[in-house]
Amino acid sequence: MYDLVFGPLMWLTTLIFIGGVGYRAYQLVQLTKKKDRARCPATAIREDSPEERKFRPIVRLQNSVLGQHPIMAIVSFVFHVCLFAVPVLCLGHNETLYQFWGICFFSLPDALINIMTIIVLVGGLFFFLRRMAVPRVRAVSSTYDHLILLITIAPFMTGFFAYHQWGDPRTMIIIHALTGQLMLISIPFTKLGHMVFFFFARCLLGSEFSFGRGAREWAT
Amino acid sequence: MIIAEIKHLEEVKQMLEGYGKVLNVGCGGCVAVCLAGGQKEVDTLNTQLTASLRTDGEATQIDGFTVERQCEVPFLAELDEMVEQYDALLSMACGAGIQFLAERYPHKPVFPGVNSVFVGVNKDVGWYEQRCKCCGECVLATTAGICPVTMCAKSLFNGPCGGPQDGHCEVDKDTPCAWIQICERLTAQGRLDNILEVHGPREWEGQTQSSLVLEQYKHRYAKDEGE
Amino acid sequence: MGNLRNAPYKIHVSDEALTEETDSMPKDAEIPVDRDKIKAMLKRKKGRMKMCLAACAGCTLCAESCFLFMGNEQDPGYMPAYKVLNSLGVLYRKGGKVSRAQLEEMRELVFKRCALCGRCYCPFGIDLPNMLSFARSILRSQGIYGMYPHSVGSPEAEALGEEDNVRPPSAE
Repeated sequence: MYDLVFGPLMWLTTLIFIGGVGYRAYQLVQLTKKKDRARCPATAIREDSPEERKFRPIVRLQNSVLGQHPIMAIVSFVFHVCLFAVPVLCLGHNETLYQFWGICFFSLPDALINIMTIIVLVGGLFFFLRRMAVPRVRAVSSTYDHLILLITIAPFMTGFFAYHQWGDPRTMIIIHALTGQLMLISIPFTKLGHMVFFFFARCLLGSEFSFGRGAREWAT
Repeated sequence: MIIAEIKHLEEVKQMLEGYGKVLNVGCGGCVAVCLAGGQKEVDTLNTQLTASLRTDGEATQIDGFTVERQCEVPFLAELDEMVEQYDALLSMACGAGIQFLAERYPHKPVFPGVNSVFVGVNKDVGWYEQRCKCCGECVLATTAGICPVTMCAKSLFNGPCGGPQDGHCEVDKDTPCAWIQICERLTAQGRLDNILEVHGPREWEGQTQSSLVLEQYKHRYAKDEGE
Repeated sequence: MGNLRNAPYKIHVSDEALTEETDSMPKDAEIPVDRDKIKAMLKRKKGRMKMCLAACAGCTLCAESCFLFMGNEQDPGYMPAYKVLNSLGVLYRKGGKVSRAQLEEMRELVFKRCALCGRCYCPFGIDLPNMLSFARSILRSQGIYGMYPHSVGSPEAEALGEEDNVRPPSAE
């Protein structure tokens, strides 16, 4: 079982994940088109007055997601940082990667990884409770959303258990690997695809909310 | 749509000095679309005003509420109960909306939060351009969809003046000559003979307040023969 | 993408509206829905729309950016995501196979509960106004339009007891 999970299934997962994410990125490029930078008359530009310039930083903060939804913004940000950092920078993964493929990233201390994993789990709990308890979130939720959250949290939970040797380590590692693989292959095909969509839409597409110039636009 | 430009903070602050409680009324119509007077601008302005007035020692309370449109009575009616508790109203709607609001609450001072600047289009994010001056006698049929009133610096109706240089207006070298553009487009459409039609002097209506009642609704109103 | 999102904010469609037989049915209900037309329209923008619908995480951070949400006591039925998921989302999920009653439900969402001011915020950058505008086009293709307070047949006009707001010139 171990050999299956860490062998062919790992290859398959990598293929589907990279292929899928790549395809999503390609799709986004295909569905959008480049927009040349237009010239606007210099006289048309409305400059801030001195008083307005004074308040510009406060206004930007107030209008940002941090200003509008501080708790959600902070929890989500910290959750996502840990979500990415833990799998990439944990010693266990780097050891395994090195063992199988001869490559690895640098590793953070286990104590830190432990804390970050707990942050991910607490974040997951926060999102779960929010989706259950807050009426407006319930209004746009269904089983699918809870399932996706479960798929996301499962690898972190089982990884935590495996590291702390709760339960049979060998079984736990296999479940951890399977749930991790499930999560990875879900990314291109579910709402977890916001991993790709977010960067493309907010950085490359022009809108009231784009970071930077936003030199692309939807083609249809 | 109507494009408006938010007034500078200093000017609005001066209007509101001395009023203890102000309601900032936003509009979800044109001004929201052109990022001048929608809910977000109301909130932003309120933050700036409150802080700025506080530094001058004024403890003004400014609340915000955005209605669908300020140019329609049923949407303004929503405000009736709210308005009484405020000393003054600040309106972020276009000139028409501000005046409609002021008309509905004649006992309350109503201040404009934006300058209505033109009827125009959204060229790109945050960039708006004038296209129409509401002259009341549209000639776009003969000019291939390019307005000579708006796009020509002299609002000429019968072809370019002697001024264009390299296809650009003598008033501004970055502004294309509207009539050259009109001729080019008419040529592309095979309608260049349009320019042979001579437009006579105009009535130039719109110098006094205009009013318009549609034929199919005239039965609702008693006629005021007037002048 | 899961079942139709949760009930409390769903507009109730009466049983009469779902059957074809009552005399009290408005005439429009007899006009069948042109499903092929809807399917063709959905197909034209499929790539973009399906991607945007799939990307929606149901985070509800778009809510406060909608002034109608804020002005209606933060009723979740006014959230931009709610409006789009229950109109365009339903259209794509059903592949255009919707009944006229379902389209009438959507009319409330996309015409009455939205001013298309275009200021909806989405942390992922999903272009909500465009999606809602597209839902409106699909409804219009089936003869379902928004109504202004003064339009013939609007609830406001009917409350005023005016059966026919507009008298044609020949009736003079």
